[in-house]
Amino acid sequence: MQQALYALLMILLTVACFFLMAKLYARFAFAFLIPVLTSTFLIIGILVAFHIPYESYMEGGKWINALLGPAVVALAFPLYRQRMFLKKHMFLIVGNVAIAGVVGMISVAVFSKWFHLSDSLSLSILPKSVTTPVAMAVADGLGGSASMAIVGVMIAGIFGAMLAPYIFHLFGVKSPVGRGIALGSASHAVGTSKAAEYSELAFSMGSVSMTLNAILSSLIGPVIAWLLFG
Amino acid sequence: MKPLIICLQIGVLFIFSYIGTLIQHFFHLIIPGSIIGLLLLFLCLCLKVVPVQLIDQGAGFLLSILTLLFVPMTVGIMKYPFLLSWKGLLLFAAVLISTILTIGISGLSSQFFEKSAENRKEAQECNKRYTHSS
Repeated sequence: MQQALYALLMILLTVACFFLMAKLYARFAFAFLIPVLTSTFLIIGILVAFHIPYESYMEGGKWINALLGPAVVALAFPLYRQRMFLKKHMFLIVGNVAIAGVVGMISVAVFSKWFHLSDSLSLSILPKSVTTPVAMAVADGLGGSASMAIVGVMIAGIFGAMLAPYIFHLFGVKSPVGRGIALGSASHAVGTSKAAEYSELAFSMGSVSMTLNAILSSLIGPVIAWLLFG
Repeated sequence: MKPLIICLQIGVLFIFSYIGTLIQHFFHLIIPGSIIGLLLLFLCLCLKVVPVQLIDQGAGFLLSILTLLFVPMTVGIMKYPFLLSWKGLLLFAAVLISTILTIGISGLSSQFFEKSAENRKEAQECNKRYTHSS
C-alpha cells in the first residue's frame, strides 16, 4: 500500500512540475525554457534535496514510461492523415529523409570516434535526430542508454531549431520543401514546430519527414552501428 | 465519457505496441516493437481494417502530452554527472556539428531534387506543346 502511494506521489510530482514549467514557457516562450528541460532540472533538484535515488523515483516514473510505446504507435495517426501528401511527394521525401538519416548518423558516429567517446555513449547519441520515444528504443536496442539518448535528441532538437535560419542562409537553402525536410529529419518535433514558422508546406514536410526518419533510422541504425562499432 | 473513450483508445494503441513487441522478439529484430506497431497500425488504417475513429482521440491525446512522457527518462541524466565535464562538452560538440551538417546537406539535396523535378515537368510540358503545334 505504502509503495503504491509512493509511486503515485512520484507520478504527481512529475505531472505537477511539468505543467508548472509549461505555464512558465507559455509566458516567456524562450527556446531554453522548453518544459522538458526545465521540469527535468526541477525534479532532479527536488530528488537531490530530499535524498531520493533515481531508482525509487522510477517506481512512479515507470508508469509514465509505459505510455511511450502506445505514443510511438500513435504517430501512425498524423502519418495516415497526411498520406495523400506523402504519396504525392513520395520520391522527394523518402529519398531526402534517407540522405538526412545516413548523413546524420554517420557524421555523429565519426565525430564521437574522433573525440574518443566510449562506444556505449556513441551508440546512445547515434539516433539523435530521431523523435525521443523512438530514439530511446533504438539506443536501447543498440546497447546504448535511453537516458543518454534523450540528451543527444534534446541537443539536436533545440540547437538545430535555433541555428536553422543561419544554416539555411549559409548553405543557400531557400525552398520551403528543403527547409521542412531538413528540420523534420534533423531536429524531429522541435524542428517541425520551427518549420511551422516558415509555411504550412514546410510544416507538413517537416512532420512527415520526422515520422519517416524515425522508421528509416530504426532500420538503418543497426547497420551503421554494426559498420562503425561492430 | 470522453476520458473513458481516450482510455479505451489508448488501450487499442497498447495492443498494437504489444503485438509489435511480440513480433520483434519472435523474429529477433533490432527494430523497436513500437515502430513495428506504428507500421502495423498505419497499414491497418490504410486498408480500412481499423477505422480511424477507433484511435483518433486516444492518439491525439497521447501526442498532445508526448513531451511529458519523456520526463521520467530525462531525469535519468542525474545518474551521469560527467555531462558537466570536458567529456560532456565533447558529446555536445559531436551532436551539434552533426546536426548542422545534417540540416545543411539534407536541405540542399531536397531543394536540388525539388528543382530538378520541376524542371523535368516543365521540359515535358514544353515537349507536349511542341508536338501539338507541329
